[in-house]
Amino acid sequence: MGREPFEAVMAAHHAEIYRYLRRITFRSAEAEDLSQETFLRAFRAYRALPPDANVRAWLFTIATNLFRNTLRAAKRRQAAHEQVKRKGREDDGEGPERAALFNEARIAVEAVIEALPPRQRAAFVMRKVHELPYEEIGESLGCSVETARAHVFQAFRKIRGSLDDAQLPPPEKTA
Amino acid sequence: MSPTSTSCREIQPDLVATATGDGGPREHARVDRHVAACAPCRRELDRYRSIDRVVGEIRRAPIRADRADVVRGDLEWRLAELRRRAVTARVWSSPLGPILIARSEQGVVAVEYLDSARGADASRLLRRHGIEILEDGTETETFYQQLLEYLAGERTRLAWPLDFRLAGSDFSREVLAATAALPYGAVVSYAHLAREIGRPTATRAVAQALRHNPLPIVVPCHRVIGSSGALTGYAGDKLALKERLLTLEGVPVAHAGRAGHIDRRVMYTRADHYTEYCLPTCGALPTLPLWRFTLFGSRARAEAAGFTPCADCRPDLNPISA
Repeated sequence: MGREPFEAVMAAHHAEIYRYLRRITFRSAEAEDLSQETFLRAFRAYRALPPDANVRAWLFTIATNLFRNTLRAAKRRQAAHEQVKRKGREDDGEGPERAALFNEARIAVEAVIEALPPRQRAAFVMRKVHELPYEEIGESLGCSVETARAHVFQAFRKIRGSLDDAQLPPPEKTA
Repeated sequence: MSPTSTSCREIQPDLVATATGDGGPREHARVDRHVAACAPCRRELDRYRSIDRVVGEIRRAPIRADRADVVRGDLEWRLAELRRRAVTARVWSSPLGPILIARSEQGVVAVEYLDSARGADASRLLRRHGIEILEDGTETETFYQQLLEYLAGERTRLAWPLDFRLAGSDFSREVLAATAALPYGAVVSYAHLAREIGRPTATRAVAQALRHNPLPIVVPCHRVIGSSGALTGYAGDKLALKERLLTLEGVPVAHAGRAGHIDRRVMYTRADHYTEYCLPTCGALPTLPLWRFTLFGSRARAEAAGFTPCADCRPDLNPISA
């Protein structure tokens, strides 16, 4: 059997999946729980995975589904969540450190990303942060490539709509 | 060409794709044509390029790696735990209905009759013990094939490595081990088994242990019967399966009363501590209690178990007539 041991899968993908979850949840504790759960589930299902499956895309799918599940469960916490968002990013326990790192535009963009509907947010982060091809994003979200593209397009539109020119860095001249 | 060949509204997706690196040559060409004649969209293209640069910064920003390592460490520990506890299992179809075979690293852990052919997580036995189930048939398929041969009468032994972790106690483990040694085509009583393990007064406890046998068929508790010869019980309410397994092994099941039972008057009889087997009428045998015997449905089975015909009653010359 040519399949690599699960430990190798973990070594290759854990950091990236954690990063992805960190990005789409915006809360480190939640990202930690979800990344653990992602790999425990993956371990359970790994034997049943076809040998030619794209393991990376598969892990993104599990992580995305878990993330969406927690969102459903957390709907009732939505109000509190909104409040935190208005107050800014300080409440996630890494506020000062991040505030120092992020300029105004980044903070503004991240706030918009955080407020995106979950599927748009997941699609956007998979594409723009993890640079997954649209085929894999569609697979992860259980939608077509066109829908995945539309999610990313809509995300950009929302980011654009929420920023005014003063918040944006000047455009780079392109050749 | 006309600047209105693509409207501002229609060009938006291409514009965003082009600005953010998702566009191909065709999108680029369309956008170039459009913005050459449309100043607002040209500015819009610049805005999206700016946004894309900000997003690029987000991509490059480090996520605190120390936490990732801690999380990874926790995960490795949990996986090791899971591996230790987990079993691989699959539900197979068999002539006796859906049957689950589960194995650990040590050996076969469970054989379970299921009511429907759903996934392995339908196993009540494994769930009750809090066992983690990894659905996989590759490690139990050989066992399944052997089981099919067994149920077809083409195989009389299932020499499987066994893991008694689901036995409730050391006592249960002893009972299961003694039961596993019962020869094919033979029956003994619960009282016989109790004596076998040196606990002559524990007949009921033996019956109880076998009622919860996690490994039916391979630990052949169907070969254990009541002292009256009654089949008693099997796998909850599956007495018919017990009869079927015994019949398969050539043990005749009588139905004189309501329930099935073993009629010792038609069984070849081997008394404890003897190396010979007898006709049931030999000498004082008819007056002795059932727990003293191992009963065989045929001479072939008695001899396959290593016993020789009694020199007095000569079952080899005067076989029991059907």
